[in-house]
Amino acid sequence: MATTLEPAPDLAPAIDRVGRRLAAALPSGRTPKALAERALMGRLMDDPALRAAIFRFVDVRPACRDERDVARHLGELLAQAEGSALGQRGARMATRRTTRAATAGVAALGVRGMAHRFIVGEDAASSVPGVEKLWRSGAAATVDLLGETTVTEAEADSYAARCAETLRTLQAAAARWPSQPLLERDAAGPIPRVNLSVKVSALTPHLHPNDPERGIAGAADRLRGLLRVARDTGAHLHVDMESFDTREAITELTLRLLSEPEFRAGPSAGIVLQGYLVESPDHLERLLDWAQARDAEQPFTIRLVKGAYWDHEMIEAARHGWSSPVIDGRRACDRNYEALSRRLIDATATGKVRAAIASHNLRSIAHAAAYADARGADIEFQVLRGLGDDTLKALVADGRRVRCYCPLGDIVAGMSYLVRRLLENTSNDSFLSAQASGADIDTLLEAP
Amino acid sequence: MSITPFMNEPALELRRAEVRARATAALEALDARLPLDVPVLIGADERAGEAFDSVDPAQPSRVVARVQGASAAQADEAVRVATAAQPAWAERTHHERAEIVRRAAALLRSRRLEAAALALRECGKPWAEADADVGEAIDFLEYYALSAAALDDGRPLLQMPGERNALRYVGRGVAAVIAPWNFPLAIPTGMVSAALVTGNAVVLKPAEQSPACGDLIVRTLHDAGVPRDVLHLLPGGDEPGRALVAHPLVHTIAFTGSCAAGLSILSEAAKVGPEQGHLKKVVAEMGGKNCIIVDADADLDDAVPGILKSAFAFAGQKCSAASRVLVHEAIADELVARLKGAVDTLVVGPPEAFGTDVPPVIDPEAQERIARYTQLGGTPAATVDVPEEGFYAAPALFVDLPKDSPVVTDEIFGPVLSVERVRDVDHGLQEMERSRFALTGGLYSRSPATIAAVERRAPVGNLYVNQPCTGAMVGRQPFGGGRLSGTGPKAGGPDYLLQFVEARSVSEDTVRHGVLG
Repeated sequence: MATTLEPAPDLAPAIDRVGRRLAAALPSGRTPKALAERALMGRLMDDPALRAAIFRFVDVRPACRDERDVARHLGELLAQAEGSALGQRGARMATRRTTRAATAGVAALGVRGMAHRFIVGEDAASSVPGVEKLWRSGAAATVDLLGETTVTEAEADSYAARCAETLRTLQAAAARWPSQPLLERDAAGPIPRVNLSVKVSALTPHLHPNDPERGIAGAADRLRGLLRVARDTGAHLHVDMESFDTREAITELTLRLLSEPEFRAGPSAGIVLQGYLVESPDHLERLLDWAQARDAEQPFTIRLVKGAYWDHEMIEAARHGWSSPVIDGRRACDRNYEALSRRLIDATATGKVRAAIASHNLRSIAHAAAYADARGADIEFQVLRGLGDDTLKALVADGRRVRCYCPLGDIVAGMSYLVRRLLENTSNDSFLSAQASGADIDTLLEAP
Repeated sequence: MSITPFMNEPALELRRAEVRARATAALEALDARLPLDVPVLIGADERAGEAFDSVDPAQPSRVVARVQGASAAQADEAVRVATAAQPAWAERTHHERAEIVRRAAALLRSRRLEAAALALRECGKPWAEADADVGEAIDFLEYYALSAAALDDGRPLLQMPGERNALRYVGRGVAAVIAPWNFPLAIPTGMVSAALVTGNAVVLKPAEQSPACGDLIVRTLHDAGVPRDVLHLLPGGDEPGRALVAHPLVHTIAFTGSCAAGLSILSEAAKVGPEQGHLKKVVAEMGGKNCIIVDADADLDDAVPGILKSAFAFAGQKCSAASRVLVHEAIADELVARLKGAVDTLVVGPPEAFGTDVPPVIDPEAQERIARYTQLGGTPAATVDVPEEGFYAAPALFVDLPKDSPVVTDEIFGPVLSVERVRDVDHGLQEMERSRFALTGGLYSRSPATIAAVERRAPVGNLYVNQPCTGAMVGRQPFGGGRLSGTGPKAGGPDYLLQFVEARSVSEDTVRHGVLG
C-alpha cells in the first residue's frame, strides 16, 4: 500500500485551519429547539437505563394499536429503567389514569417528530420538496428507501419497484432544478443530479452469511434492473454496505454486475467501504484494483464511512466466540479512517475513482479536506439527514461539495433506522455527542 | 487445581470464505476414507456382529460405515466387564476423572472438522449444525469436568460440636447410555461423560443411524485415558438396547429419544430381576410439541426468520424444534402472509451446501411418517419441491387446522409447521397448557409485562423470548423439559451430574472421653 498509516506532519496546520474554518461556520446551535434536543441527548447519555427504555419504546411504538397500548408499553418500559428517577416518574405518568392519555400523546408525537427529522418523506413524491430544498441550498442528496426486513420474494420485488419509481420520480423533478455547477461536475466529469442508495439485503430474501453465492443469485436480477433504470434515467446508483455477514455477497455482486458489458457506459455507480472493519485496508485495495482495471466510461464512487453496525458486530462476535471484525477503540478506528481517506483520495488521480468522505467527525472531515486540497483532488463529503445538518451547512459555506443521505419511508419502517442513528448519536464514543457536550475545538480537532 | 471459568467452544466462523474452504477440505478427506468400520467394542476387543450399513441420507448409495451390530449376549458381556471395572474407576478422585474428560475435549477439538464432517455425512446435518454438534460435545466434556470437581467437595452441612458431618457423591455403578442420531455427537458425549466423570462405567448404544459418530466418541474418550473396560460400544438396533435396559446389573439408564421408546424404557426399568439388588434409575429426554406465541406487538422482522429457523432447520429433527405458532389474531394475517412467502424461499438440499436451509431427513421411515402427517393436514399453505435422490421431506406450512388435527397434536419430528390464531397471549398460554409435552416454547413480544407473565406461566422446560426456540447452549440454557418430554434433568446445567450419583451422608462422633476431636 502506498499510503503510510500516519499523516504527513506538514498536514497538521492545514487540518487545523480547515477544521477551525468549518467549526466557525457551524450554526450556533442556540435555537430553543437545538438547545432542548441537546439537553435531551445529554440526559440520555448520562442515564443508560432511561436511554435503553426510550429506544425500546421508539422501536415498539409503530406496533402499538392505540393510545392505551402506547401508554402501556411506555409505562412498562420506563418502569424497567430501575436506576432512573426520570424513568420512574415517566412510568407513573404513563400508568396513572389521569395522565396516561397525555403522556402517550406526547411520547407518540415525540417519536413522530424525531422520525421526521431523520426521514425526508414517506414516499418518492413526498420526498421531492425536501431533496429540492437541499439542492437549492447548495447540497446534493442520496435517497435511501427504508423498509421491513425482506423475508419473501414479494417483498424484494416491491422494494425494487419502489426504488425504480423513486429514481424516475426524482429524475423528472430534478430536470426542473436550477444549475449547481459544483454539484454537477467534478474533475472526473459530470455528476448525476439524482442519486439513490440501495440495500442488497432488501433485494433478496436469500442473503445467507455462509453462502454468498445464494444471495448474489437472489439479488442479481433485481439489482441489474435498477442499474438499467439508473442508466436510462441518468441517475447514480449506490450500493450500501450492511452487516459483516453480508459484505462478501454485496461486494462480489456489485463488482460482478458493474463488470457486465451492458453497464460499460453507465450508470454512474458506487459502493461503500466501512472504515471500522479490521480488514478494510485490504478491502479498499481490492475495490481500487478492480476500479483501475475496469473498462468503463464513468468513474466508480467509493463512499468511505465509519460503519453503523459497531454494537451489532461486537455482540455477534462475542456470542459466537469469534474475534471481532470491527476495530475496537475510537482512536484506532479514526486513525484507520484517516489512512483509508488518504489512500482513497490518492486513487482519484486516475479519474477512475471518486471519493466520498461520509463522516460527522469534524477532525476526519478536516483531515480529508486538507489532504485533498494538498493533493489537488476533487472529492465529495456526505452527511446524514437529521444528524449532520449543521455539518452540511458548514461544508456548503466552505465551498465544498456535499451530499446528504436522506432516508424515506413510513414511520414503521423508519424505526430501526432511527434507533440505530440515535444509538450512534448518544454513544460515549460519538463525535457528535462530544461536540454537543461542548468540547472545545482543540479537543475536537485532536489527531486520533 | 485452578479452575478456569467455563466458556462455550467458539462456533466455526463459516461466514469467512477461508473457513468454508477448510471445512470442505475436511469433508473431502473424510469421503476418501469411507466407508469406515465400526465394530462392537468390549473392553479392548473389537468384535464382529450382525453387519449393517450406515448410509448418507442425502445420497443413500454412499455407505458411511460398515457396522457390526451387537447381540444381546454381547450386551450382557459388556455390562459384566463394566461391572467388574467400575469400582476401580470409582476409586479414582473426581479430579482425576475430570482431567481425563478434559483431555477428551482437547482431542475432540483437534479433530473438530473431521467430527463435524462425519456428523454431516452420517446424519445429513448441514455444516453450521454439524459444527454446533461438535462444539456442544466439547462443551459437555469441559462443563461436566468442571462440575465434577465442584461435586467432589460435597455440600455444606450443619456441624455441631463433637460431630463431623459430610455429604459425598458417588457413582451409581454401570450406566447404559441409549443415544439418538439427531445430535449424534453432542448428546451421547453429554450422557457418557456425565456418567463417566462421576465414577460410573458406561455402555453406549448409539442410534442405529449414527454408529460411526458413536464410535468416534468412544475412541476419543479411550484415547484420552478412559480405561477400555470402563467404556464399551454396542452399535446396533433394538436388540442391544433392550438387553441393556433389562440387564440386572445396569444401575442407570440415560436415554434421549422418542416418547414411545422412553415410556417403554421407564416401565421395563421398573422391573427388578432375580440377579438385581438395586432400583434402576432412568434419565430420559423425550419428545416435544413446541409452540411459539407471537403477540400483537411482536417485531415480525425478527419473528419470521426466528420461526423459520426454529421449525425448519435440520428439517425440524430436533426435540426443541417449533411445530406450532400461536399468533395473536390482530397480526395473524400479516404473519401468515410473510411466513408463506418465507417458506417458499427455503432451500432444500444436501448438507454440504453452505446455503442449505433444509437437509434430508434421517431415513425412509422418517420420510414416510412425515409424508403421512402432511397428507393428514390436507393441502399445505406453502411447501417446497425437494430433490429426487436422498431421504428428503418437503417442508410444509399449515394454517388454521382444527385443534384435533394430528398435525397439531402429534410430534412429527420433521419440517412441518402449523399456525393457529389465538385471541391473545393468554389464549396462547392455554393452548400451550393443554399439550402433553413441555420441552421448549417461544415468545415474540415487546412488552415487559407480557414477557414476565409468560415466563411465570409457560409450563415448558426451556422458554426462549424473542429468539428461536432451538440451539440451547451448555452452561447458558440448561436443557430439558417436564411432562411427557422427560424426567426433567437439565443437560448442560449445574444439576445434571446429580442424575448419575448417589449421595452418601457420613456422620462421625469425634468426642472421646469428653475431648472434642
